[in-house]
Amino acid sequence: MSSLFSVLSIGASGMAAQRTRAELLVENLANAETTRTREGGPYRRKDAVFESSAVSSPFASVFDDAQAPSGVAVSEIVTDTSAPEKRYMPGHPDADQDGYVAFPRVNPAEDMVDLMDAARSYEANVAAIGAVKDMIQRSIDLLH
Amino acid sequence: MALPITPTTGAALPASIPPAGQSTGAGFQDVFSSAVEKVESLGQDASASVERFLSGEGEELHTTILATTRAELAFDLFLQTRNKVVSAYQEIMKMQL
Amino acid sequence: MLDRLSGQLERYMDLLSARQKLVASNIANVDTPGYRTQDIDFQAEFQNAMGPPRAIAVDGLPVKNDGNNVSLDRESRLLAENDLRFNVASNLMRQQIQAVRSAIKEGQGS
Repeated sequence: MSSLFSVLSIGASGMAAQRTRAELLVENLANAETTRTREGGPYRRKDAVFESSAVSSPFASVFDDAQAPSGVAVSEIVTDTSAPEKRYMPGHPDADQDGYVAFPRVNPAEDMVDLMDAARSYEANVAAIGAVKDMIQRSIDLLH
Repeated sequence: MALPITPTTGAALPASIPPAGQSTGAGFQDVFSSAVEKVESLGQDASASVERFLSGEGEELHTTILATTRAELAFDLFLQTRNKVVSAYQEIMKMQL
Repeated sequence: MLDRLSGQLERYMDLLSARQKLVASNIANVDTPGYRTQDIDFQAEFQNAMGPPRAIAVDGLPVKNDGNNVSLDRESRLLAENDLRFNVASNLMRQQIQAVRSAIKEGQGS
């Protein structure tokens, strides 16, 4: 089984994944009302898909077996493909012939909660790295 | 009136007395050799543990440190004992004039 | 010499390390769809005192919509607890080592 040192990589992978998730949520929130994008049409929300992954660490070796504890990675970023929300606003510059404007399917309240959740998970990974560093240091202290 | 004198029985001889000089030597030698073996074996365990740790096979740091500490303490103890034995021997040698 | 009690302490530290690795994995995968919390049966592994511990599933954890059952509260608590226990064990170990060192030094003088 891999040693405590590999846990530093696991924690780091958690931090990276949560950071990506947070960045996408911030992008969604910033574009909640964007009716016109460069690609045409309203903004489409993006979400990160998480997946467990084996972590590679400079300290690991080829002997690490499948039982090795796993980190996490963003396996893909999914762009929302559902039909946009239509609101009746005839005077709007982006209104179509019928007076409807296409808006992004972003629920700011939901994404705010998600963002706080991502921050909390990020901090938990930071704490994990801290605890493991502490344990490694205690082992070193055995020498004195 | 004199009491009859009962013959005393001689003190029983111990079943075996090893010849002088030989037994002490052999007994001590054994203890010494097994101590050396122990120190060597702990030393090998420590080296193996360090190797496993460095190669990333998953040896925990505390395991390696404990292995090297055991080896070090065993060696120190052995050294102290040996020094005492040597100085005791030297004392005895001084006496035999 | 250092053998019996320190052997147990070492096993304790081994198990705490193994457990902490799983806690870290659980934390990293708190939002991974389908991921299940892993742990070790600490008492059983300590009695057993043989070989690397086995990772087991944890019962009774509520499962979220995406099939994930990691509780950040539980994992954070375990994280702190394992760290503290490791701290205690390593201090006890260090005391034992120092006791032996002192005994050896003591013998030097006489």
